[in-house]
Amino acid sequence: MAQTVASTEATQQPPREETALITGSEAIAVACKLADVDVITAYPIRPYDTVMQYVAKLVANGELDCEYIVAESEHSQFEIVKHASAVGARVFCGSSGVGWMYAFEALTVTPALRIPMVAMVGNRALDDPGAFGVEHNDALAVRDLGWQLVWVDSAQEALDTALIAYRVAEDRRVFLPCAISCDGAFLTHSQALVRIPSAEKVKAFLPPYRRGDLLLHPDNPITVAPQVNEDWLMEIRRQTGAAMERAPGVIREAYADFERIFGRRYGNPFFEEYETDDAEVVLVGMGTLSNPVRVAIRQLRAEGRKVGFVRMRWFRPFAAEELARSLSRFAAVGVIDRDFSWGSPYMGGVLATEVRTALYPAARRPAVIGFIAGLGGREVTVPDVRRMSDVVQQAAEGKPQPATQWIGLRE
Amino acid sequence: MGRLYAVEIVYRGIFQKTLAKNLSRTIVLAAHREGKPGISFGRYGDSPERNGIPAKNFAIVATDDLTLEEGMAQYEPKQVDVTIAVDDTLCKGVESWAWYGLQPINRLLKPGGTLIVTSHEEPSALVEMMHRKEHPYRLAIVKATPSFSGLWVYKDDHTDVRILGALAKLMPELFSLIALQEVIAAEWKDQLKATSALRAYERINTVDVQPTQGNPEKPYQFEFAKWHEMREGLAIPSIPRGEAVTDARSGQTGGYRPARNPTFKKFTTRTMRPVVDFDKCIKCTLCWLQCPDSCFDVMPDGMYDANMEACCGCGVCEAVCPEANCITMVNETEFRDNASQWELWRADKEGYARWVSDKIAARPERSHGFRFRGQYEQQVPGELAGARDA
Amino acid sequence: MATPSNEWVNLNAPQKLDPFKGVKKLPLEEYFTSGHRTCQGCESALVMKMMVKAAGPRTIVLGSTGCMYVANTTYYSTSWVVPWMHTQLGSSGSAGLGAAAGLKALMRKGKLKQEPINVIAFCGDGGGADMGLSAISATLTHPDYNVLILMYDNESYANTDIQLSGSTPYGAHTTFSPPGKARRIMHRRWKKNMAAMLAAGHPTCRYVGTVCMSYSVQAMNSVRKALSIGGPTFIHSLDPCPKGWDYDPIQSHELGELAVLTGIWPLYEVEEGVLKLLGKTRDIAEGRTKRRPVRDFLLRQGRFAHFADEDLEYFQAKVDEMWERWLVPGVIPFRKELEEHAS
Repeated sequence: MAQTVASTEATQQPPREETALITGSEAIAVACKLADVDVITAYPIRPYDTVMQYVAKLVANGELDCEYIVAESEHSQFEIVKHASAVGARVFCGSSGVGWMYAFEALTVTPALRIPMVAMVGNRALDDPGAFGVEHNDALAVRDLGWQLVWVDSAQEALDTALIAYRVAEDRRVFLPCAISCDGAFLTHSQALVRIPSAEKVKAFLPPYRRGDLLLHPDNPITVAPQVNEDWLMEIRRQTGAAMERAPGVIREAYADFERIFGRRYGNPFFEEYETDDAEVVLVGMGTLSNPVRVAIRQLRAEGRKVGFVRMRWFRPFAAEELARSLSRFAAVGVIDRDFSWGSPYMGGVLATEVRTALYPAARRPAVIGFIAGLGGREVTVPDVRRMSDVVQQAAEGKPQPATQWIGLRE
Repeated sequence: MGRLYAVEIVYRGIFQKTLAKNLSRTIVLAAHREGKPGISFGRYGDSPERNGIPAKNFAIVATDDLTLEEGMAQYEPKQVDVTIAVDDTLCKGVESWAWYGLQPINRLLKPGGTLIVTSHEEPSALVEMMHRKEHPYRLAIVKATPSFSGLWVYKDDHTDVRILGALAKLMPELFSLIALQEVIAAEWKDQLKATSALRAYERINTVDVQPTQGNPEKPYQFEFAKWHEMREGLAIPSIPRGEAVTDARSGQTGGYRPARNPTFKKFTTRTMRPVVDFDKCIKCTLCWLQCPDSCFDVMPDGMYDANMEACCGCGVCEAVCPEANCITMVNETEFRDNASQWELWRADKEGYARWVSDKIAARPERSHGFRFRGQYEQQVPGELAGARDA
Repeated sequence: MATPSNEWVNLNAPQKLDPFKGVKKLPLEEYFTSGHRTCQGCESALVMKMMVKAAGPRTIVLGSTGCMYVANTTYYSTSWVVPWMHTQLGSSGSAGLGAAAGLKALMRKGKLKQEPINVIAFCGDGGGADMGLSAISATLTHPDYNVLILMYDNESYANTDIQLSGSTPYGAHTTFSPPGKARRIMHRRWKKNMAAMLAAGHPTCRYVGTVCMSYSVQAMNSVRKALSIGGPTFIHSLDPCPKGWDYDPIQSHELGELAVLTGIWPLYEVEEGVLKLLGKTRDIAEGRTKRRPVRDFLLRQGRFAHFADEDLEYFQAKVDEMWERWLVPGVIPFRKELEEHAS
């Protein structure tokens, strides 16, 4: 199992944490239990719905006291928790692929209403054709709408990030929903060793959800979301923008507290750097492709090649300035997109396009090569990563490369 | 440098929707006949229209395409050459769909602009209703009962072409009578309509309205909050709960007056208002109960007083009242304020009884939308004859 | 009130709302007040007024998109006194369920003070009988939550300037069904039998009722029963609409009466599975009142002004069928045996 998290020193003497062998989905279900979620809605679609199967067991066994409702569609699934949150309940929801798309109307209004929902997206390729393997387009589809988006690459990180997500989303300075993306199969269906924090520590880290003057209750008579025209909507949009502007500061506070209370250190919340200190070229990516990437990097370094990897966690808010400062150090950058964006500039994937935009104001701009890889759950292999590193190396040496290249395609 | 012409048509939503559309489109088509390009549109924020609620259409015409661009990609022109009010009660001012408070009917008129009103009232009566304007303008009256149609069924009583005929006379630089009659022939293939236009052209005249004339009241308006002054989460406070009413005369407290939406009052939707004969009232509750707009205040003595700040003039109270002549809908032009009828009655019951019978004598003679199939076929010939002889 | 005997059904106590005993006993308080931008004579607005007058102040209302959203909370203002929140066009069922579930969880876990709070989610016929049907159906299967879903039916998508829905009557003129030179009748579909369908399809739903605000005390009592019986409930209101139906607003109240008196709109309730016809509908069913001919109702409205005799005859025949041939007259359209196919 890849070591993505540094433990703190033993001097803090934390109480012994339980370790369990669980999937990323179950880890998030455990987080829901620790966070004492009040209302959860379920609807079946692979691969995320394993989280809801675990939740069902927790509820049936009395380990989680919540209203657990099986909706009749994803649209209803997300609408139900939206209104439960409006009356003050802490909520959890989730979906995958076209299920997430079926909920799209609900997903659109949730951030606009400042509903701090936490959702799990078990990343899955979009139909058509139907496919269960991982692609990131489902979660990415809401990137403009005010959702916070974060990608994890281990079951441990899934559990920890779920707790952090509640802390950040429900902070009154933010009050924006957060979707945690877990690669289908590799995280949703693979059991790994996870340390389970104690309920006391969670209580110290995560305050109760207080909706304040936005609470829907007869003691607080408000009208929420009256219809508006052109005289109002710019100002309303600006408010959502301001909340997203405040989110990075709240995220930093949360991670700092997380380390202090739980003893697990994530460093920079927004992205993780692997072997970048002396790297000449660097790859960028999200999710579990980090595993073959790190293996390949260790191989290459043993051969004298200095390659590093930046794994984006938070896609929204996107830490553009920090990322630009980091990537400016390198001669060339290869961005791995486990997604597509037909018709985009240079037919680049979503992450590549955003990285290029982040780098544009930088004084020193590395060459950016976009790679489309791993679509539909196709494994990203170590040879694939080596090939990508070779291409980026060529770019670093000044040999022009196509802006976007497909890796692992039969052609 | 070209010239941009703007005409606005202020009308009662739904009832006059087709009429307004006919007016704005025909203006553009007639002007186009004489080489001037133009556009016709409803104010987007007025949509979806609602029965009776004031709405606006616009016809923007220019001498050339480049100048026309000055009038495009806007919801509403900043000023107009002509305002056409197709219902005289609109002269009291209108609350628009958007949250701008009470707009005087002449708000957008340029200095020296023309206000055309369909009405049987005398100019002085209309001027009294209209808010004072800082510069002079002209008032022209097309003698007609304001024309109300159904949504799906148009009452073609030639009001549209009569207004257009008058406009051709009042603003010949917009379009000529010839151009207008050509468009009428092409659109409606009805020689009678062309003749009606001609007659209106010949008969229209104007009076000048000075800044000293008109209603001196300052119409209410609102300021918009800045983005950081607005509560987050799309939340606004609800309307507070209502309260009992205290009768200043007797000191009695009782009944109930709801709090009301302070930003949209709706009384400018009225073309008629209910006049209540409290001496006949048996306190059956039905007017208060069945009013969709909750406009009846319940007074301490148990009487129901239609609050004229809230009443939109639908007439349901008259329809449900079981007592003959207890509630009667009367032309809004008969009134100059929103005073409480119950207070008037309490102050002087005999005087009030006379006042009621005077007002009831002025019942509206126009239809307020569709009532039965075949209605307009019955009504229109008589109205056309009346217009010919007027 | 009968309580379910299954121990696993865990219902919070709802409010106790006794029926109003006549117009003189109605509370004066208004929880939906003046200043909404509805049409003159809007009976749907009257539904809103009566609905919350019946429900009282300890009520949360979720309103899905439609006239009763856009016209009542126009341009960042409101006519609501009780807390109100917008929800999506097809979401009345899910929004109501979510609010009820949230309140229940919070109260049980001690995060919110215990009290029975009414949750009402309303929808128009477009949002309810069309788009939101699945969400309403799902909610009505949940025995554990107290929530009323109220569908105000003005027989069109009215807020978008009148388009036909699955609840629009046969042949009606809408912007999606204009009578034209080639086709006089563009809308050949018969109105969905929504209330009966929901009552028949959800055996654990304890109350389904039809109402019309022209019979407002009965309507308000239907709301009070739906809120106090416990569990998810559904009310279908027919509201004359001066804009879409195209008539002089002064006729609003009378047209509601005519809808009932012609038998087009039956008033009934299904309480714990027991069907009861109400008021004038019961008089019709039991032969005390003769049904008025449908033309008395149809020809007062501009939306039927294009009807030919054969359209009126067809409409009459379908309504006759409701009362003369349906298994449960006015309510359930099944037959006991096949008949010769009538045109």
